[in-house]
Amino acid sequence: MNTSRLEELQQGQAERQAFSLGELVRRRPETITAALLVAICVIVAIANPAFLQPSTLVDIGRASVVMGLFALGVLVILAAGGIDVSFTAIAAFTMYSLTVLVQNHLPGLPIAVILLIATVGGALLGVINGLLVHHLKVPSLIVTIGTQYLFRGFLLSFIGTVWIMSLPPQMGAFGRLPLLQFESANGATITLPFYFLVLPIAAFVTWWILNRTLMGRAIFAMGGNANIASRLGYDLKKLHIFIFGYAGALAGLAGIIHVCANRQANPFDLVGTEINVIAAVVLGGAKITGGTGTVLGTILGVLLIVVINSVLVLVGIPSTWQRLVVGVFILLAAAFFVTRQRKK
Amino acid sequence: MSATSNTQQAPDRFLELRNIQKWFGGVHALRGIDLTLDLGQAYHLLGENGCGKSTVIKIMSGAIAPSVGEIILEGETHSAMTPIQSLSAGIETVYQDLSLLPNLTVAENVALNEQLVSGNGRLSRLFDRRRLKETAEKALATVGLPNNAAFINTIVSDLPLAARQLVAIARAIATHAKLVIMDEPTTSLTRREVDNLIRVVERLRQENVAVLFVTHKLDECYRIGGNAVIFRDGQCVAQGPIENYTKTQIAELMTGRAIDSARYRTAKPMDGNLFSVKGLTAAGVERMDFSLRKGEILGITGLADSGRNELAMAITGVAPARAGTITLDGRQVTIRRPADAIDHGIGYVPEDRLAEGLFLDKSILENEIALILTRLSNNFGVIDKQAGRETAARLSEEMRLNTKNLDLPVGALSGGNQQRVLIGRWLSIEPKLLVLHGPTVGVDVGSKDTIYRAIQALAERGIGLIIVSDDLPELLQNADRILVMNGGKVVAEFDAEHATEDQLYQAMLISKLETAQ
Repeated sequence: MNTSRLEELQQGQAERQAFSLGELVRRRPETITAALLVAICVIVAIANPAFLQPSTLVDIGRASVVMGLFALGVLVILAAGGIDVSFTAIAAFTMYSLTVLVQNHLPGLPIAVILLIATVGGALLGVINGLLVHHLKVPSLIVTIGTQYLFRGFLLSFIGTVWIMSLPPQMGAFGRLPLLQFESANGATITLPFYFLVLPIAAFVTWWILNRTLMGRAIFAMGGNANIASRLGYDLKKLHIFIFGYAGALAGLAGIIHVCANRQANPFDLVGTEINVIAAVVLGGAKITGGTGTVLGTILGVLLIVVINSVLVLVGIPSTWQRLVVGVFILLAAAFFVTRQRKK
Repeated sequence: MSATSNTQQAPDRFLELRNIQKWFGGVHALRGIDLTLDLGQAYHLLGENGCGKSTVIKIMSGAIAPSVGEIILEGETHSAMTPIQSLSAGIETVYQDLSLLPNLTVAENVALNEQLVSGNGRLSRLFDRRRLKETAEKALATVGLPNNAAFINTIVSDLPLAARQLVAIARAIATHAKLVIMDEPTTSLTRREVDNLIRVVERLRQENVAVLFVTHKLDECYRIGGNAVIFRDGQCVAQGPIENYTKTQIAELMTGRAIDSARYRTAKPMDGNLFSVKGLTAAGVERMDFSLRKGEILGITGLADSGRNELAMAITGVAPARAGTITLDGRQVTIRRPADAIDHGIGYVPEDRLAEGLFLDKSILENEIALILTRLSNNFGVIDKQAGRETAARLSEEMRLNTKNLDLPVGALSGGNQQRVLIGRWLSIEPKLLVLHGPTVGVDVGSKDTIYRAIQALAERGIGLIIVSDDLPELLQNADRILVMNGGKVVAEFDAEHATEDQLYQAMLISKLETAQ
């Protein structure tokens, strides 16, 4: 080894070890997400101290669950270099078909089994995505646009279009089951629902898979370069099946929680929100071109979008402005990530 | 078949290829290869680009299946192998493109595969971070890279190219390999690093590992020793101890024709100054002065960190200079972007032609005319296809491309032909000055010959050429003068006709010592 180059490498490391904000942002882009989140919370809290009330925080937590589950699935697929826009259709399909099934044929089915069926059903639909992406060798964006229409079309044509207003009782009860309950200053009861727990659990499992299993490392390897990964012995078929199956499972679970939380099953719900979810994941620092992304960043991205969507009203900004703000944030964050990349 | 092979098998026989043939569509890429590899031996697979070397490597590493033939691996007969089978058997490959995963850390690139392979490719397993770290540290130390925590956690895309090449080699030796295949492992290494690599190879051989090199650098093959395996047109034309062959013999066997290793440069530069820089300063370049006459070929060399690459990029606007003046044809010019350089008639053929120069999935035609689209189009921006085709045909003819099919994607061509397409593209703007950076990196002897002839023909037309290269024979054979750079400055100048390789190398190293003091 050329001495000078070795020294250079080591010198470079010394610089890297020294604290540098730029380096931190480059290696952990979710710092920007966190900073944006804190900034917006501080501004809103100053403008309207009501924001800091427990009820607002509980609202944000409740509103993050469905989007957070979707986002974790999208993260896994983005990390592997793919993209999925069919997960909302998978969620709509499982939630509505399952509600119809339980209501008409299996009224006594316990809620745990319902959640399990939703997860497995979502996973199966996801596996269809994975197999199609792998065998057709078509970009996953195209495949999942196709399956989004397919799943949704099948749902509306063959399962039904009727808005179900009265859920089977066990599902409604699950939606109301409290995790935390307390009285606010004005005497109203505030409830953090039990289903909120699903999000941190799913986040932990996703983190564990991505960082502690060979599957997780293989997902990032495929996201780095699929051809090279295959040459190194990674089984791309298994990987495709796993990532789309996993995202499908999370989507199925998210769908049924959406029904229970809203106490109604609308087959026209959810589809159309996928761009919002992808935006959250990208705001959380995952590259749309694959190979990067963290669970922490994704959760921060989701919180950021939920906070924007739910609190702008509190400071008197019309809700029509939400998209405007989200758009500006996405462009700002993206520009920031890209300049950091170039500067190195 | 496998029973007979078992009884006849030598004790150290590892891999045997029998009558391996491969068709790609209608192309008969391998026409029946027989090859045996024994443990503890070194092999040098030599041949022109497109002779089937890479195909054989891909068959051994399980990336593709042969159309006909048998692979006998440790006495077991296979008709084809999967990557995992090949890796599990101990066949490790350092690919020419390095095959590193750019988004993962050094440690993961070096040592993750060991865990994948030891579990037979199974993914539903925990990944052992401590084992990853230990394996990576050991392998990195062997190839002479730092193995501290900061380095092993560096993302590979943040590393310079030479370090990446060593990381790829570290991955190959991180497992208990029995056969290490290295596809042009030394292209971006300096001599010191090559010396270190050769020591690594010696150690591997002592540990009874077989090593198969694919390279165009014959000097390195002689230093390593072992067996030469020479391919031509998908066939093995010669095999035997490398010291039994001279360089000229090898070149003739590879190309099937006699190659002249004498000096290509016969003409003299013309009168009149073409190009000069004064006080040129850029990142890594400090107040450089030099000038170039019309039709002159100037060689520039130095170690990888000498500033030679930065100089080429400063002249051509890729990484513009901070200070200094550039004079072309008597006029002072400002070059802030590559487009400025093109406007003034300065062309740049980068070292990494795949990443920086060519549109690989576009046709030869589209690549050749990429710089003159404005000239070829009318007022409405519509391109005159006929004129474009004529220009591309003329350029291909001039550069002696070995295909007449201009619609072929450039990615399908051999390295030598790709390089000719790239040089041809610059001819389309009638350049005054061409900067060639490593013009024959990864190019075989036969193509080198054609490229050198083309370079000389350009100089005779009055074009000034700057060749930035660490291939010293290349500079000695082609240039008028050679500048040796170090620490961003010219430390020595030689008349190429009378200089020797040793003198140049001494100048590179001695000046290094002086700067160190």
